[in-house]
Amino acid sequence: MAVMRVTAETKESTRQTILEVAQELFRTTGFDATTTRDIARAAGIATGTLFNYFPTKEVIVTTLVVQALAQPVRRSYSELHGSLEEALFAHVAGDLRRLKLHRTYLAPVLETALSPLAALQRDEMGQLLRTNHLEQAVALARHHRLDAALTPVALQMYWTLYLGVLAFWISDKSPRQEDTLALLDQSLEMFVGWLRGTDEKSNQPWQPAEKQG
Amino acid sequence: MSPTIGELMQALPDVDEQDGIGVALPAVLKEGTLRPVPIGRWRRLTLLGSLQAKIAAAYLFYWIRGWFKSADQNSRLLAETHWRTAARVLDSMGYLRGAVMKIGQTLANFPDIAPREFVETLEKLHFDAPAMHWSLLREMVFSELGDDPENLFAEFDKQAFAAASLGQVHRARLKTGEEVAVKIQYPGIARSIGEDFRNLMLFMLPNRLGHDWKNVQEQFEDLRIRLEQETDYCLEATYLQKARTLFREEDGIVVPRVYPQYSTARVLTMDLIRGVHMDPYLDRQPSQEERNEAGRKMVRAWYRLMYAGRMLYNDFHPGNFLFLEDGRLGLIDFGYIMDLDEELWQMFQMLDRPLTTGQRSDRIAAMKEWSGLTDDSSDQMRLYDEFAEWSWCSRDLEGPFDFGDEADFRRGVDLFTEMVRKRYSRGHRTTPTIARGTFGWRSLLYRLKANIEIRPLAESEIVATGWDRSEYTRPIAN
Repeated sequence: MAVMRVTAETKESTRQTILEVAQELFRTTGFDATTTRDIARAAGIATGTLFNYFPTKEVIVTTLVVQALAQPVRRSYSELHGSLEEALFAHVAGDLRRLKLHRTYLAPVLETALSPLAALQRDEMGQLLRTNHLEQAVALARHHRLDAALTPVALQMYWTLYLGVLAFWISDKSPRQEDTLALLDQSLEMFVGWLRGTDEKSNQPWQPAEKQG
Repeated sequence: MSPTIGELMQALPDVDEQDGIGVALPAVLKEGTLRPVPIGRWRRLTLLGSLQAKIAAAYLFYWIRGWFKSADQNSRLLAETHWRTAARVLDSMGYLRGAVMKIGQTLANFPDIAPREFVETLEKLHFDAPAMHWSLLREMVFSELGDDPENLFAEFDKQAFAAASLGQVHRARLKTGEEVAVKIQYPGIARSIGEDFRNLMLFMLPNRLGHDWKNVQEQFEDLRIRLEQETDYCLEATYLQKARTLFREEDGIVVPRVYPQYSTARVLTMDLIRGVHMDPYLDRQPSQEERNEAGRKMVRAWYRLMYAGRMLYNDFHPGNFLFLEDGRLGLIDFGYIMDLDEELWQMFQMLDRPLTTGQRSDRIAAMKEWSGLTDDSSDQMRLYDEFAEWSWCSRDLEGPFDFGDEADFRRGVDLFTEMVRKRYSRGHRTTPTIARGTFGWRSLLYRLKANIEIRPLAESEIVATGWDRSEYTRPIAN
């Protein structure tokens, strides 16, 4: 019996097929209700073969997220001309737009690759997502001459807010997830306000100009 | 320009020490935290939000306090406890405290707690609501209309040119060439109003405040519903479209056209109307006749909407009217319309007789119906009658009425003050809204110093609807 050689091209094609059918199944039947067996069957491969490509369902969904976030996004006017708050808002909003298709099954990604414990687990895709996002945030801060204030602690704080917004978003029941936009706006106002405060170190407490009778 | 903190603080009403209620407002206000000097938009917002909320709270406080004039010590203490809790609730509402300002604006109709400076300060706040930045706006347009503003519109001005009901207005041009105004609401704020209102009422109002309490609750509930409606741009679009069909070119009254394909509950796109607001209009020193004509248009628009459209226009905020270069009047905000359903329409029909005849006996009969009071000779009825007489006397007068008469305007304010002080709040559930409307149009005509005869305007508008009132109308001399 001739051993069929699996070319790199076939491998990539199978990988893409798995991702496509998985995305459809997650969307229609939900992440929890979809089994690896379902995915393999839909992709026309054996379940065992599936594991050669993706060790877990969580890795599949994380890969979808990595792919979605790798899509180019048109830079908005605000990222270049507005304040840092606006620029960061546009940056995160760009992520939300690209992840919109995957919103309903993002929770496992937050629990694994994007979990605060992901760093300990040395999750490569999680690290990649984090690094990519933060590098752009730092670039925006540099553009606004606030990168010096972005210490590792400040970056961690920003990342925590970002994950918080994502977590809120995936279960946001408000019409068109409008509450997430409000949360993002206010989170960034708070963060950048604080960043400026630490940068200027000249935040004088407010003194009333005149005494009120 | 935004008012300074000093102006805001000064705009708070003074505590009247003589009423002996023993609930001191300044102490309550001091419980709020004074924040650092506002630097970014967010901090400015927080500070303003907080002060707006306190101003609104002060309104409510003064109004509620009136209920305890004759209460015993225990009730007063209970009231104070509730009040303090309410103040803390207000203080914890974060950004959305701005929404509470809307309640304050509505309660501006309780003039014993609303000196003129106070109302003017609220108006400034209304005009200078903090802006949404472009990134947020773009996301709102994207999520509401399905695409970015730069793709949907031929042009879209990134700077807002006006503040709107809990949002802001941008100039834009459609791909088909029309110049439009796009009104966009801050995300999530509409839903918060109802919650804010419920929280406030829950904590502030103990539930036994005398025999009229249920009636007061109904009035509050009516206010809440109307405030919620005000933030629903779909509803506003419906009213705009309906109103637009009511006016002809010769009326000289313009209502902008709505573009439904670019409108949702949070985004409202309509024709851009070029004109100036009342202050710059008056700064040009228009002649008496020009001001009279502007006043007539305002009154005609109000009657047309009421009689032909069965819509009561209640929001006589000066920002809602535009004076066009060619003398026309633009009505641009239909967020606070009271739909005259069958029940309300019957009430209005009932009120038409005293409005038309000016007879005291007709007024008393109508007031009884309105308030459910039965005793003709009570002090409450006397006061209701005097207030109604003040509100309505211009309507049946033959010849012009001087709306710019300060003493007369003051008399209305004083009468209303007396009603509030005496806790005479009993009335139809729509009373606060209608009171807002009544003071609203009177104060605009007062500021215009209009000297006009409104009876022919009212009569011609009613006659046009075919309503037969021959039983009590008299002909108008030409």
